[in-house]
Amino acid sequence: MKAILGILANDIRRRLKNPLSVILMLLIPVTMTLITGLVFGPEGNVDMPKIKVLLVDNDGGFFGGLLKQGMQQGELGDMLDITEVTAAEGEEMMSGGDASALIEIPEGFTANVLDGKPAEIRLVKNPSETFLPIVVEEITKTMAVLLDGGTRIFNAPMSKMRSIVDQENWPAVSDMEEVMDGAKNGVILTYGYIADSLITFTDEVAALPDSVAAVDDPVVKDFNIFAYVMPGSMMIGLLFIVELVLRGLLRERKAGTLRRMLAAPVTTGQAVAGKVGAAFAITLISSLILLAVSRLGFGVDLGDPLALFLQTVATILMCTGIITFLYGAISGERAADAVMSVMIIVMALFGGSMVPSEQMPPALQAAGRFSPVFWAADGMKKIFLLDAGVSDIRIHLLVLFLLGVLTIIPGALLIRARIAKGGW
Amino acid sequence: MTEMITVKELNKSFGEVRAVRGISFSVAQGEIFGFLGPNGAGKTTTISMLSGLLRPDSGSITIDGMDMASRGRDIRRIMGVIPQEIALYDELSGRDNLLFWGGLYGLAGGDLRDQVDRALELVELTDRAKDAVRTYSGGMKRRINLCAGLVHSPKIILLDEPTLGIDPQARIRILEVVKGLASEGRTVIYTTHYLEEAEQLCDRIAIIDEGTVHASGTLAELVELVGGKVMVSVTGDFSADEAKQVLGEAEFDHISDGELRVKLLDRDQTGRLLGGLFSAGLHVDGVAIREPSLESVFLQVTGRELRD
Ligand SMILES: Nc1ncnc2c1ncn2[C@@H]1O[C@H](COP(=O)(O)OP(=O)(O)OP(=O)(O)O)[C@@H](O)[C@H]1O
Ligand SMILES: [Mg+2]
Repeated sequence: MKAILGILANDIRRRLKNPLSVILMLLIPVTMTLITGLVFGPEGNVDMPKIKVLLVDNDGGFFGGLLKQGMQQGELGDMLDITEVTAAEGEEMMSGGDASALIEIPEGFTANVLDGKPAEIRLVKNPSETFLPIVVEEITKTMAVLLDGGTRIFNAPMSKMRSIVDQENWPAVSDMEEVMDGAKNGVILTYGYIADSLITFTDEVAALPDSVAAVDDPVVKDFNIFAYVMPGSMMIGLLFIVELVLRGLLRERKAGTLRRMLAAPVTTGQAVAGKVGAAFAITLISSLILLAVSRLGFGVDLGDPLALFLQTVATILMCTGIITFLYGAISGERAADAVMSVMIIVMALFGGSMVPSEQMPPALQAAGRFSPVFWAADGMKKIFLLDAGVSDIRIHLLVLFLLGVLTIIPGALLIRARIAKGGW
Repeated sequence: MTEMITVKELNKSFGEVRAVRGISFSVAQGEIFGFLGPNGAGKTTTISMLSGLLRPDSGSITIDGMDMASRGRDIRRIMGVIPQEIALYDELSGRDNLLFWGGLYGLAGGDLRDQVDRALELVELTDRAKDAVRTYSGGMKRRINLCAGLVHSPKIILLDEPTLGIDPQARIRILEVVKGLASEGRTVIYTTHYLEEAEQLCDRIAIIDEGTVHASGTLAELVELVGGKVMVSVTGDFSADEAKQVLGEAEFDHISDGELRVKLLDRDQTGRLLGGLFSAGLHVDGVAIREPSLESVFLQVTGRELRD
């Protein structure tokens, strides 16, 4: 143990003497966050050119109106520029490329939703644009999920709703309160998903009479774009830092210091453990720096301390494990050059480091679940934005810890075997 | 004398390359045992096996009564290895390097600091101890590299070409240090491809080439081995056959067109040899006379000159 700690401490001392490479790695997430923040507005308000959306309402009913209203109010209203058109006008404008997307609410939409029957919203995207139609799609999809979930989860209040909607007049406040009370639990249940999609449901509910009183503790914090971007982008920096430290092992092999270490009464296992431990420690320190920058520089609310602590440790464990494993699997520095950066970038991309997962098309989003980075970034996002506690991110913690342990041990053993064979 | 190191029938191959082939030797306590051999002779491979870094394919190594195969870690505790390359942390100071390497041998606290100071004095680097190794000259790096293997006062010291590529002054200093270590009763194995170093420094020398020890013993024993003969090399414009005809009865070490080497009992016979060549009308460009020395021994036992 003393030898391991000695090697670990020496590695940290060396980094402190020569911190430039780590600092450069730390600049990656800081710059990414800063740039994204500046693009979307330094105040953290989503403030980009409005997305032009055409709306064809063939239903004219309650839910169609709800959808329409939801998209015109609050944050969505800031984002979307909704023009109501007829089906023919819509078709023509889309073919002229005059809007990013067209949403068509089918006839009988409200009735179907209330009856729990399938109700399909039609979305036509402008093929000449890439990002904006996806945003519209995301919003529409979320709203659809919302309604869909509502019809199931709010089963009880729904029957009440039916009678309310069937009345021509606005319902009595007491009736509405009953519906909302029943809905409240459901809202809280589905909250995670909704907030992930960046659409604050409070606005939605507020569109309904008396609903503001019903949802009495809004869970969502003030939305901070930096808090939204930092968790994903910090993963790139952290993975590269682990990579940097472990690459030191290859360097030391070349420089002869590894041989010198092994000529001392130090086992190969201890040497590897010292280096992997150093990777963990240095990356942990780096993540603390990034969290400090997030708090002080970007005004990110770091949320529940225990959740933050566990999520950070689990994340670093996972990062260290994955990279250790990759190093165990490769044959040397050339392979490291070829493989490491690519692997990190791919994991980070799928995990939502560059484009947040929520804004990816569904297939990509699903694939992203297989990237360990997703579980790290998503958990951190929930802590920052939703004030998630330990129990809210327990799946994330479990996935990260398991991944970490399951990769770090075989990875270290593989590296040890490679060194012992002399072929590393 | 107590035997500190006993090596029997050591073999090591890297794929097709048989780096070490059946090397055996033993070294007594306080002795400086030299391995003299050219590039690729197998010196580093031998040192690596002695220091427990490489597992031999076959053969046995016993150090201070302990078998390497079973007690490698205990052996490494009492051994100091000075690798051929400068294996140090460039960005750290000389002192920090020594503190780290000493620490790996279980030294700590004041004990460690005292030993580091002592080692720094030994190689006269106390003044520069606080500077990063990166800023040292080549010779200083060599000295601190040596030093890093000595902090824990090892009983046995393995040095792999510790004077590679440095100026004569730094070399003299290193040789002095090594002599001093042996006089304190430490056992030293020293590899080199410099003849003079082996001659000046080593109590006994093993001549190694292509993985085999061709001869070993004290300098006197080795010279005796080649019969104490003078070696005369002649180059010129003659064919092998012509030269053979003229010098029929001479003891040839080598003969080819334009080049021959002859062993003579003493250098006075050189005149007669050259006279024979001249009177036969053969053209001679150059003559070199080599007194019996390690160089001629090397040439004799390996059949080639020791050059880089
Ligand atoms: N790790 C290795 N893999 C493959 N071949 C090796 C390895 N180490 C040494 N060899 C080969 O073994 C032979 C002996 O090498 P070694 O390094 O022991 O020579 P040396 O006497 O130390 O030479 P030098 O004076 O150049 O340091 C060489 O042919 C070398 O190419
Ligand atoms: Mg060598």
